[in-house]
Amino acid sequence: MSESISPDVTVDSRGATCPGPLMDLIGKIKKVDPDTVIELQTSDNGSKGDVPEWIDEAGHEMLDVVEHDDYWSLYVRTTK
Amino acid sequence: MTGYAIVLASGELERVQAVSMIGSIAAASDTPVQVFATMNGLTAFEKETVESGDFDVAGEAGYAMLEAEGDQVPLFTEQLQQAKELGPLEVYACEMVMDLMGNDIDDYVDVFDGVLGVSGFLQKAQDKQVLFV
Repeated sequence: MSESISPDVTVDSRGATCPGPLMDLIGKIKKVDPDTVIELQTSDNGSKGDVPEWIDEAGHEMLDVVEHDDYWSLYVRTTK
Repeated sequence: MTGYAIVLASGELERVQAVSMIGSIAAASDTPVQVFATMNGLTAFEKETVESGDFDVAGEAGYAMLEAEGDQVPLFTEQLQQAKELGPLEVYACEMVMDLMGNDIDDYVDVFDGVLGVSGFLQKAQDKQVLFV
């Protein structure tokens, strides 16, 4: 399922702790058009839970969370 | 909700970082945030303190942050600067403490929008929820 998502943009926040990855993602979301698929790469365990919370609150669409060996890919579709 | 007015009165790294993290994410999410750095909270922003990394630390979390510094845990100064580009975040320095320490605004890292006294702060905080740290 997740293998089929091909992001328009990738944000590599691996190595950064909370709230670094979220800040990087918000920065990117503010720059791109609606309906852009963003892949956020993070190695921060906390961000894995916190980012979907924010996405939900902000009204964007959380597509998937894929676990890799030492990081996660969070796929988001912007709605505005 | 019209935003948060955060009084940062402590220079302990744990508190300063927490204010920066919460304030930054709120502002980046388009919630207006105004941080008023006073007492030792303002001292944490002195160029000398930031450059030397010689922050007050309350306990284990603070030491862990100091050790992890750099890429992993962005320092509050960088975080606030990044957040200011993303949303409505304003940071003010307390005039009284600045005078007391014989400093002017150039002695502090470049994150401040201005200098305020108590009544200036209260006026700006009127419509906001106040958090005292």
